[in-house]
Amino acid sequence: MTSANGARPLDGVRVADFSWFGAGPIAGRTLADFGADVIRIESEARVDGLRLGQPQKPGKSGYNVCAYFNNFNADKRSFLLNMSAEGSRDVALRLIERSDIFLSNLTPRVIQRWGLTYEELCEVKPDIIAAYQPMQGLSGPHRDFLGFGAVLTPTTGISYLSGDPERKPVGVGTNYPDYAVNPGHTVLAILAALRHRRRTGQGQRIELAQIESVAATMGPALLDYTTNGVTQNRKGNQSSWMCPHGVYRCADDRSGRERWIAIAVGNDAQWESLCRLAESADFTVDDRFSTLLGRRRNEAALNESLSAWTASLDAASLAMQLQAVGVAASLVQDAEDMCEHDTHLAERRYYAYLDHPETGISLYDGPIVSLQRTPGYLASPAPLFGEHTFEIATDVLGYSAEEVAELTAAGVLS
Amino acid sequence: MTMSSTALDGVRVLDLTSEMGHYTGKLLADLGADVIKVEPVGGDPSRARPPYYHGRPGRENSLRFWYFNANKRSVTVDLGQFDGRWLFGQLVHTADIVIESWTAAERSELIRQGVDPDAYLEAQPALIWASVTGFGLDGPKSGWEVTDLIAQAASGIATLAGYPDGAPMRIAGNQAYIVAGISAAQGALLALLHAEASGVGQRVETSIQEALSICQETAHLQWDFQGASRERIGEQHRMPGIGTYQTLDGYIYSAVGIPGFGAPWSELIRWMDEEGQAEDLIEPQYAETFAAFNMRALGAQEELARLAPIMNRAQDVLSRFYAGKTSVDAYEQGQARRLLIGMVASPADIADDHHLEARHWWLEFDQPTTLGAPDAPLKFPGPPYRLSATPTSIRRPAPQIGEHNQEVWVDEVGIPAADLIAFAGEGAV
Repeated sequence: MTSANGARPLDGVRVADFSWFGAGPIAGRTLADFGADVIRIESEARVDGLRLGQPQKPGKSGYNVCAYFNNFNADKRSFLLNMSAEGSRDVALRLIERSDIFLSNLTPRVIQRWGLTYEELCEVKPDIIAAYQPMQGLSGPHRDFLGFGAVLTPTTGISYLSGDPERKPVGVGTNYPDYAVNPGHTVLAILAALRHRRRTGQGQRIELAQIESVAATMGPALLDYTTNGVTQNRKGNQSSWMCPHGVYRCADDRSGRERWIAIAVGNDAQWESLCRLAESADFTVDDRFSTLLGRRRNEAALNESLSAWTASLDAASLAMQLQAVGVAASLVQDAEDMCEHDTHLAERRYYAYLDHPETGISLYDGPIVSLQRTPGYLASPAPLFGEHTFEIATDVLGYSAEEVAELTAAGVLS
Repeated sequence: MTMSSTALDGVRVLDLTSEMGHYTGKLLADLGADVIKVEPVGGDPSRARPPYYHGRPGRENSLRFWYFNANKRSVTVDLGQFDGRWLFGQLVHTADIVIESWTAAERSELIRQGVDPDAYLEAQPALIWASVTGFGLDGPKSGWEVTDLIAQAASGIATLAGYPDGAPMRIAGNQAYIVAGISAAQGALLALLHAEASGVGQRVETSIQEALSICQETAHLQWDFQGASRERIGEQHRMPGIGTYQTLDGYIYSAVGIPGFGAPWSELIRWMDEEGQAEDLIEPQYAETFAAFNMRALGAQEELARLAPIMNRAQDVLSRFYAGKTSVDAYEQGQARRLLIGMVASPADIADDHHLEARHWWLEFDQPTTLGAPDAPLKFPGPPYRLSATPTSIRRPAPQIGEHNQEVWVDEVGIPAADLIAFAGEGAV
């Protein structure tokens, strides 16, 4: 994106990141990209599952070679603190006292067990901004329900409304809410709280109940029920007003890979442009399709006819041709397209390639937004497990080398 | 020391967006910013989008518009006219943040006419100007048309969603626009923190394609490490206990057998057994198998092959068990045992959820309509987060077209009332 230098908006802000897996660490990653000093608290007794996940660098093993973890933790420092060891809470509070932001997606039960509730944090750091991401909130009958993205997709209506009406809902293939919606909302709340603190000196607690954060993205469908009593249903790739609007199979590529194109026609002028491009395809001379109403009434036939036309065409070239005449279209890109063939992304240098001591030059997502004068950037790859324990214990927490040795011997640090 | 009641107290935002960026303005408005929606004279086209109040189409009746524009005020201005551009320039002088989601064609035309972000920034150095676009402001695809579907296709997420024997699938809820809105709001607040500290504003740019990329989960990372693209798997999970199951009245998603997440398979067997439905799965010869029945233990191909018969048996018994329960019962009873189960909730199920009710998540207020007075207050979805010192709030319903022309142009910008009438007469407002 840009060279690793220059002032960033969160320079001087320190984050005690007690989160793990996706929604928490990605929020910390954004704060780090924009200048914050983010300290990931980890422990041998509770290793982040993503360090043990997939994909791992071929031929390597251990805690440091999984890209799933590494992508969400670039730009951070790793500090090993075993919260079940006697004396660990004092170290945690000492870190929080020296931090501006506390971040956690631990369950309410663990927060209580570790003594890290907002009230307890305020005793050592009255103006702390403490962001909690419990699955269903810090209160309520479902307070202790467990989950993660794949469970949130069903419980918030996304699964119910995604997919074909005549088939069962199968989810969206990933833990979708974990990656942009929940971390993004969390960062936004933290930034708002930071502004408030800069103006008033007052910190606060942020409670992001993940189920509420995702349900808030489904507003129109929820309002349709609460005002009209209408329960919307799945409708595949159909739009409620655009037509044609769908994903159409194109010619397989030379290696037999399925290729698809997405097309969205929003008005008659775009439809006419598409028809001019398609020249003599059946749908261009079929009167049923000449108006929006006609196209909607005969949508199944239209989609069939469009598919017959796209079936022999190259998806990427067709998308370019359609875009050249003002019709919204795109190749349905897979990871190979994103990483290897999308010259647009490459020219914009969205992906960062960072040299990691164990995985070598590896791909990372770039910052989620571009700022012209104070851009975010990835200053370093993901930390090795416990890479910064000693420097944080001494430089940030002010322990002497002897004290670090004692804490290590006591099993608090490692 | 002044204590403000909202986080974005005193921040003025001009919101020129349509569907693609309107969530940004909502997020900022709910956090306390004064967000003025700047609409073309006939109203923002997104006012026409379904669903509608009582199913009756109309520019003041779109539920979608209401949801994304509550808390905003509305002025109209025709940027195609010289006087309209002059008026807009006066309004920009009062603003801290401008957000727009122009298409490439609109952008070049407006800049040609002098509605130029860089020129405003030069005149007003602390200004923040946020652009929400499908593909960013530069690069070969920067001129491309975009919709929610196109953005999901272009960012590598549609290919992962859907049925393995079907087409790539769009995730419901205009999620590309949602993620774009969250990205631009983060960018605007990052820039605001910098501007308030330094006096220096800047351009902020969201490319929806880039903002969504991280939602590929591991697909792009797997390509980087292994040179293989991830397939669309739909329901083809590796083991029973993980997937979508039919219930008496709908579906649940079950995720039992992921190490480190909730209770293990043995708890599922105990539950079925307590209800007399574990069938032969409780027999001693299976005990050892189910004690370590999870995704990691079953990861090896040989192990999968060896256990195929018992896995098929477990799948049958479990499917029958879930099929005998309502979705709510399977969800709540399972979670009470710390089994990872989520109900496939419809909008009605969410509206009836007693947990959200107990947390007072829903908001209620009156929204004026053109169909006469509303018959009841709106039951309006609540916020994504709760801030203890600066809570979010809905302070006003979504505005009617140009509802605040008088208030903003005359009372706040200082346009003489007679001049506003003249501008209105020529169609500039």
